[in-house]
Amino acid sequence: MAVLRSIGRRLWQRLLASLPALFGVAVFTFLLMRVLPGDPAVFFASGPNAGQEEIEQIRREMGLDKPIPVQLVNYLADLAQGNLGRSMSTGQPVAADLERRLPASLELTLCALILALSLALPLGILAALRPNSLIDHGVRLLCTLGVCMPTFVSGLLLIFAFYYLLGWAPDPTGRLDVFVSTPPEVTGFLLVDAALVGDWEAWIAAASQLWLPAATMALFVLAPLARMTRASMLAVLTSDFIRTGEALGLSRRRVVLVYALRNALLPVITIMGIVFSTMLGANVLVEKVFSWPGVASYALDALLASDYAPVQGFVLLMAMIFVMVNLVIDVLYGLADPRVTVG
Amino acid sequence: MHLTRRDLFATTAGAALAAAGTPALAQSRAETLRQVTGNAINTLDLTMPGSTRESFGLAMHTYDRLVAFGRKPVPGGFVFDHTNIRGELAESFTVSPDGLKITLKLRRNAKFHDGSPVTAADVKWSLDRHVTANSLAKSQLQISSYTSPDQFAVLDPMTIEVRLPKPDRRALMNLCVPYCIIINSTLAKKHATADDPWAQNWMKENTAGSGAYTVESFKPGEQVVLRRNDNWTQGVDGKLPYFRRIISQTVPEAATRANLIERGDADLSIDLLASDIPALQQRGRVKVFGTPIANGFTHIAMNTRMAPFDNVKVRQAIAAALPYEDMFQASIFGRGARLYGGDWTELPPTADFPIPMPQHTNLAKAKQLLTEAGFPNGFNTTFALSASQAAANEPVGALLKEALAKIGITVEIQKLPDAQFNTFQAEKRMPMFIDGATAWLPETDYYLKLYFTRDQRWNFSAFNNTEVNELTEAAQYELDQAKYAEMCRKMVGILGREVPEIFLWQPNHEAVMTPKIEGYTYQYYRQIDFRDLYRS
Repeated sequence: MAVLRSIGRRLWQRLLASLPALFGVAVFTFLLMRVLPGDPAVFFASGPNAGQEEIEQIRREMGLDKPIPVQLVNYLADLAQGNLGRSMSTGQPVAADLERRLPASLELTLCALILALSLALPLGILAALRPNSLIDHGVRLLCTLGVCMPTFVSGLLLIFAFYYLLGWAPDPTGRLDVFVSTPPEVTGFLLVDAALVGDWEAWIAAASQLWLPAATMALFVLAPLARMTRASMLAVLTSDFIRTGEALGLSRRRVVLVYALRNALLPVITIMGIVFSTMLGANVLVEKVFSWPGVASYALDALLASDYAPVQGFVLLMAMIFVMVNLVIDVLYGLADPRVTVG
Repeated sequence: MHLTRRDLFATTAGAALAAAGTPALAQSRAETLRQVTGNAINTLDLTMPGSTRESFGLAMHTYDRLVAFGRKPVPGGFVFDHTNIRGELAESFTVSPDGLKITLKLRRNAKFHDGSPVTAADVKWSLDRHVTANSLAKSQLQISSYTSPDQFAVLDPMTIEVRLPKPDRRALMNLCVPYCIIINSTLAKKHATADDPWAQNWMKENTAGSGAYTVESFKPGEQVVLRRNDNWTQGVDGKLPYFRRIISQTVPEAATRANLIERGDADLSIDLLASDIPALQQRGRVKVFGTPIANGFTHIAMNTRMAPFDNVKVRQAIAAALPYEDMFQASIFGRGARLYGGDWTELPPTADFPIPMPQHTNLAKAKQLLTEAGFPNGFNTTFALSASQAAANEPVGALLKEALAKIGITVEIQKLPDAQFNTFQAEKRMPMFIDGATAWLPETDYYLKLYFTRDQRWNFSAFNNTEVNELTEAAQYELDQAKYAEMCRKMVGILGREVPEIFLWQPNHEAVMTPKIEGYTYQYYRQIDFRDLYRS
């Protein structure tokens, strides 16, 4: 109970402490967008005959006709009420767009991370147990291949092989086959929503859309996870307590999986947090290649159009997710190693 | 044999249904058209500032207009024909001999999607909205002398009269354009507020039309699903469209779009990469309909008010230095119509525009013109292109840089993000750049007025020629075809002499579809007209 209470207090303190950082991010992004040389009003007023009058009107609609300090104050006031503004590219409120698209990105990223971990941990452990063996070299090769190939290349290759040539994967167009009806939205995670209502046809459809992009992303992040597991396992396996355990006649399996792995996990968890946050923002190429309706491709489109509100909303969202992920990582630390208290 | 998961679903479901005696599902795929596009529809009301071209395409299906352009056959498909106008919501229309009145009689059986009849009151409200509310329709209607609600009169519940201050060549044509939607005024008024008397906020997310299709689902940036309106009678000969459902899906990656169509999972796309088209055609698994964008042109604009391009000889020198044929092949693989190499000098042979202009590659002449202009040793300048058009325009830039270096001009190529490119273009801050242009009403005087007169955004070269200014003002109201043609030839002659822009080509509009899709029409708003399509 006391442990939980201390975790709760710690969480609360950390959340409070992150507020100034979030404020800074909001202001900084706001200013950064205004420094960009493109004028979104001109960009969006590009219909035939759209003249100065239309440009002015869009400027008014976006609040760009006021001086920048006034715009900033208005923006912060809107933010305080949870209003992130309206996207010109989709015509929808940014908050609604992000709410609709975030589950898509999260579902993809989480699945990719789980896939990557389920491969990286065993591979890393195997490589550490037999350093410089054939297995170790094989793992090294796989990791190098994964990390040196940009995701859009591996994504397009996988599509070419599994969709175009073999026909094993469905067409890479979003989260669900267009001819399958969408399960009622509860969490926004299609796998969860479909399972909740027992719509297994939709579940299979969603899963089959998911595996190819998830594999693409997993391949890319395999390297940091597997290499970190290997390195930290190697360090732990040579330490005194392992030798003691072996000397005491504990089984190899118990020594490796319980004593060594648990101690080796701390750095892996750290890397995992970083990898997850990076994946969420940086998977824009995967989202583009697979027409995945996620937040990253949304933000990129908005950035190219100098559509201020969605970009600001996206950066703020990412900052918040970073804060949350770091919190979760801290809690995981505590579980992996009770000696650690991060305050 | 490839067996995809969808085939599996289709066969098992088909088998199950066939057993029950209804082969409906297999049919429904045949009667569904799946379009894949790299762009997105951002509003259901296309007259809202900021609406995308895809939104125009959508509104052509959800709303009807009073009148519509016809189409004419070309090899492999059809092209719009603005000289052949038919009634859409109007059963018949007459233009008075003096050109000051257009009387339109509405179809008796035309109904809005909610079942209420289309009346002259709805037409009046819609046209009033277009000339009054702050929308894109307002400036569009101004180009044909529509400025005030007083010009639209209800004669009886089924007849509307449109009055003009001057006979205007574009008056009838302009009622055909995408913006001139006829709205269910009873429905829209229910959602109007004191601040928003024209229900503009409501119409962004809802439709109130009578068009061939209704919106079944609308996820901006992902997909839009349209369902056929089975009560639609406004088509040619009252025929219903073939497809019951249209799925328009956003697929950002062009290579993926091409894969989808080659595999037969999607039916149609009009925005594939120009460089992929020859290969697709060669493999022969898809049908490609390519036709030059008849109502547009790709051009290199030079700022006629910025030194050294304010000197006509400099512009002529550059026009003489460019390797047109190499550019045509490198940029669009020769898929389009050339707008250079015209064999006329003073006046063009016809009143049409765009036509091949008298621009020929002649380095000696270029060098001489440059010397006469006072730049025997050339000068330094920049050449800008927008990032989204880089695939086609970067090769042009490279060839231009190489060619101009031969006459001493050093060119720095600037590839700019689109928002920045558009801003610089509107502010006339770029000395030289490449871009495309289209006009909804492909009338010579309209091109000239839109792209070569006044201080406004689309006057790319900031051109100001007294004669062109006067001629565009007069030609619009000239009903005598012979006199009009004379004016047009004069204006195009001036463009050939003054070279405010170097005309390059009309690139192809390439529609790539599965082999069984028929009836494709190239429309002037460069979107798909689903109403004409069918599966053979």
